[in-house]
Order: sequence, then C-alpha cells, then structure tokens
Amino acid sequence: MSKKKYTSKSGKERAVRIAIYIFLTVLCVIWLIPFVYLIFQAFRGESTSMVTYVFPKEWSFKNFIFLTEKTPFWHWYLNTLIIALFNAVLQSAIVLCVAYALSRMRFKGRKLLMNFMLVLGMFPGFLSMIATYFILKLFGLTSENAVPGLILIYAASSGMGYYIAKGFFDTIPKSLDEAARIDGASRARVFFRIIMPMAKPIIIYTIMMAFIAPWGDFMYASLITFGHEEAYNVAVGLYKWLDKEHISNYFTVFCAGGLLVSVPITALFMSLQKYYVEGVTGGAVKG
Amino acid sequence: MAEVKLTNVKKQYDNGFVAVHDFNLEIKDKEFIVLVGPSGCGKSTTLRMIAGLEDISGGEIMIGENVVNDMEPKDRDIAMVFQNYALYPHMSVYENIAFGLRLRRLPNDEIHKKVCEAAEILGITELLGRKPKQLSGGQRQRVAIGRAIVRIPKVFLMDEPLSNLDAKLRNQMRAEIILLREKIQTTFVYVTHDQTEAMTLGDRIVIMKDGYVMQVGTPQELFNHPANLFVAGFIGTPQMNFFDAKLTKDGGKYTAVVENAKIKLPDYICEALSKKGKLPDTVTLGARPENLILCADGTENAISAEIQVTEMMGSEIHIHAKTAAGKPVILRVQIADMTDEEQLELIKKKHFSFTVRERTVNIFDPGDGRNLAVENAAAVPQKAETPVNTDDLGKKKKKKDKKDKS
Repeated sequence: MSKKKYTSKSGKERAVRIAIYIFLTVLCVIWLIPFVYLIFQAFRGESTSMVTYVFPKEWSFKNFIFLTEKTPFWHWYLNTLIIALFNAVLQSAIVLCVAYALSRMRFKGRKLLMNFMLVLGMFPGFLSMIATYFILKLFGLTSENAVPGLILIYAASSGMGYYIAKGFFDTIPKSLDEAARIDGASRARVFFRIIMPMAKPIIIYTIMMAFIAPWGDFMYASLITFGHEEAYNVAVGLYKWLDKEHISNYFTVFCAGGLLVSVPITALFMSLQKYYVEGVTGGAVKG
Repeated sequence: MAEVKLTNVKKQYDNGFVAVHDFNLEIKDKEFIVLVGPSGCGKSTTLRMIAGLEDISGGEIMIGENVVNDMEPKDRDIAMVFQNYALYPHMSVYENIAFGLRLRRLPNDEIHKKVCEAAEILGITELLGRKPKQLSGGQRQRVAIGRAIVRIPKVFLMDEPLSNLDAKLRNQMRAEIILLREKIQTTFVYVTHDQTEAMTLGDRIVIMKDGYVMQVGTPQELFNHPANLFVAGFIGTPQMNFFDAKLTKDGGKYTAVVENAKIKLPDYICEALSKKGKLPDTVTLGARPENLILCADGTENAISAEIQVTEMMGSEIHIHAKTAAGKPVILRVQIADMTDEEQLELIKKKHFSFTVRERTVNIFDPGDGRNLAVENAAAVPQKAETPVNTDDLGKKKKKKDKKDKS
C-alpha cells in the first residue's frame, strides 16, 4: 500500500498561491511608483523642470524652502485645513444625527426618504455645480470668499452619506435606548450619553471621511474660487503650477507641495487605522 | 407603589394587524401580575404600552391617578428589566445603577447611598467597579434589577427577565425575585412565556392568546378551573387530557360518558350546568394527567388504553397512550411507593386501564371552547376573527419584520 502524503497544500495549490502573490506584489509596486517618484522629485536639487530620470542627482530641501518663502502655499494649506476641519465637525454631526434618526425613529415616509437619498447620491456631484455656483454667488460666497462657501457646499449634502453610520447604529440594541428613556433620559441625552460612547469607531470613520473629502477636492474648489489665488485650496493652487507656463519652473516645487499635503492624511490614517477598519466593517459583520 | 388600570386598551399597527384587542385589567397596589402566553400573543406589547415604549391605538392606561396614554416613559415613574438586560456597556455597574438617579439630579451622597443599598439587596456590592462584559448572565440580570429598584418606582415591569439564563440559574433567580418582591413591596407586571414562572411568581396571572385575554385569575384558579380549552391546555405539564363526552342528566346530577365510562360530575359543575339553558349534546371533558388513576382491568367505569411511550422522570412516570377510541392520553403516575420491580413492570406494560378523579374534571363546550362551569369565560379566538386576511397578514408581518430590521 502506497503511503499517502498528508501535507497542508498540494503542489498545484502552492503554485497558484505563489502566482497570486507575485501578481499582488507587481500590483503593489505599480501602485507605489508614483509616490516614490513624487518623493524623489520633491528632494531633487539640480533643476526644477521635469526630467527623464527618476533618482535625483543632487538631494536638497531647496524646493521646500522655495515653497515656504516664495509661494502662497502655506496660505492655501491653511485654507484647506480650515475647510477640512469645519467640514469634519459639521458633516460628522449631520451624518451621525441623520443616521441615528433613520436607524431608531419610525415615521411616515422614512423608507421613501432613504431610497430618495440613495438614488440622489448616485448622480455625480458636478451635475449641480453651475446651480450651486450661482446660489453661492448670490450670497457672496464665491471668489475671494470661497472658503466659507466651500464649507457650506461640503456640509450641505453630507446627510445623504448616512448609510454606513446607520448600519452601525442598527447593530446597537434598541433596548439600550429604551432602558435609558425609562431611566429618565431624553432622546438627545440617549444619543449623547448612551449611543455616542458606544459608537467610537463610526464617529472616527465619519470624521476621517469628512476631513479627507475637502482636503483633496479640486473640482468644486476650482469653480468656486474662480481664479482668486488667496482663496485657493492646496489642490487648486498646486495644479496651477502644472500649466504650460509654470511647469518648467515649478515641477519639483509641485512635488514638494504634494508631499506636504499627504502628511496629515497619512498620519491620520495610520493613527486611527484600528477604528477605521472597525467602522467600515462594523455594520457588515454584526448585522 | 400604585395601582395600574388598563381600560379597553388596543394596539393596532399601521398595516392593520391588531396585536392587542380590548385589554381590560385592574392591577392592585403591590400586586404581582404575570402576563403569560405563547409567542405573538401580545403580552410584551401590553407591557411596552404600560412602559410608554409603544403608542396606544385605543383605550386608556392609568398609573396611580394619572392617565399616562401620552406621557413619556421617563415621566411615568416606572422601571423596567429587559430580556437582554440592556446594561450600558461603557459604564461600570455602579454607573449603570446610578444613571437614572443622576438624570434626576440627586445629590452625589444620596446617589451613593441608594446604589450601595440596592447592591446590598442584590448581593452585587463587590461587582460595582466592573463593566457589564466582565459579568456572568446571572450577575448582569442582578445589575439590571438593581438599576430598576434603585429609583423605587411606582411600577416595576419585567419583560421575560429570566429567558436568557440557563435552567439552573433561572430557578435560582426566580426564587430571588420572590424574595426581592418581599423586600421592595411595589407593583409588579411580569411577562413570561414560561408557565412555571407564571405559577410560582404571580399573585394573579393573565393568560393571553392572539391579542385577547383568555383568563385572569390566581394560579390555583387557572389550574383548577381554566376558563377555556386554551387555558386548560396551556397551564400544566404535561398538558390536560381532553375526551369527547356525552352528558346525561339524572335528577339534578349530571354524568359525562366517556367511551362507556360514566363520570359523575362534581356538584358545582352540575349547578352551573343546571343554570344554563341549552347544553351541547357532546362536550369536551378535561382531566389532568395526575388525575387519571391506574386501575385493574375490568374495574367499573374504567377506560382502557394502549401504551405508546413511557417516560421515566425519576419520581414519576409519564405514560403516553391511546384509548380504545383512538384518543391520545397522558398519565402521570407517582412511583415513590412502588418497588423497583413494580416500576419495571409498569414501564413494560402494553395495556392498562384508568379511572378519572371525578371532583377534578372540567367540562368545555367543544364549539367555542368555554368552560361550562366558569362564569363569563372567554371563548377561544378563532383564526377567522382576525380582522385582516390571514394570507395578507403573513405577508405584511414578514414585510414588517424586514422593515424593522432595516
């Protein structure tokens, strides 16, 4: 009787697995090339224009110094930060309140409202750009006053992104709300004292998403600021340096700016990674 | 401590489904009322309406002197223990118990005193610093009860509080609830589907089916004089045996004839039957398994049966059999006085005869299920009485469940 091998994987399975890993590694490398390229260009000191090679001949902080001293980069950075922070607060508050209300309260038209918001969310935002621009212009919130205008735009439609937070709230037993209401808590107090402390992952996820969306937005910011440099955010400001007339003098400065823009987002993601994953998967697995 | 009065209370959902029909009950001060019935009978809905967690579609609920129909739960001065405990997971046991007191802005000293007192009563003082996830099921249930008793509410509501515990712990906690009730002396409304809990805890029991109240009475009343076939079958384990019987009258006395065995009905039933106008030709005779007595074959007025299964329960044997007329019957035979050989002989038996303990029988109208000797007995609701088309209802119920989940 021949001896049968009891290995965990057959040769064929192992070969398939190796092929998958190689494929994924290649994908990772392709994915990382632009970032690595950006970092190299940001520290390139020998020239400021686009070149055909990757590794800098001279390593330098020149581009960062130029960015700080000769351009309004930090002003744009501040604009972006203000918009992102305000949006993080406003959007999170709106999303969480809408999600909680839709999760817990039963009222006429609830289902219709949820479906309506879902369908509305399927249309790309830029369809309403022109109308939004004229409305903001009426209020004087475009051009040099674009910062509050952009905050208003980002926060206004945020309630429609309630789905993930609602999924999370649905997993918290309703009897907790009921117990607190019997204990003497109002609806608002139930939300803040009972539900919020239990919803940390989804709060953090919502805040992160609300911060990131305006941080990298180009389309709306470009339209609403309408060429007024003092109101630019980083995406619009940096993009201007890729014009035909600027690119030869500003390409490496653009890369340095891009690197600085990615720092807060990367830090945010890395520090809150645990909560982020919990928030995204919470509604799905606890169902 | 207060009386609770429910008058014509009705609960109808938006889809037309009526969960509770015309519920009337007066709960006395410090009384322990148990609502019991199978799943979907409306007992939890009734409790939640008293708590204010469900709107009332019709009728009136009074707690003490106040009509509370539109009152928020927090203003009703009630406390509730939930089936899943509903402890706040991010708070310690101490904070869980103190939460209601803090919302009422009591001074810290008083809160501390009350929390410690409640913890002392429930024997959870050493757990006060822990979080709910660090507690066992029984401990969590104690904390949930602590959170409820600390406020000394007018009415104490419990929604199947022992259902999530294992059998041993359930027995222990049941005894503790009886002791707790002695200590805190308040009005209790307790929901369960477990008839043992209902029988052991309740001063009075309300039995419900399909949203209707079937009978309200003491455990003894319900057990000895069930108002209808549903109550008779629901209370008691194993359930009551039912036989088709013919009534014969001799003078003022009635006799029920079951498969040629003549069973003389007790005087109180005869009196009740005499007062009735027309009696049905055939009635249903109910006799509990412990009231069927084994006898020798050929005994006068004995019914013979063929054994199908015997269950050895330790101190008693349950005999599942079929009578000569093909009716299923269960006997509960005490075996404390039998020798091992006698017990073995009984288990091995194929045929046997039994008589019925006459003073314990009940007589029901097979049409509407009412006990003919109980005044104002409720009829067993028929499916056709449901106001919504049953097929439609099934769909709507499924739809509602889906809706609730979403």
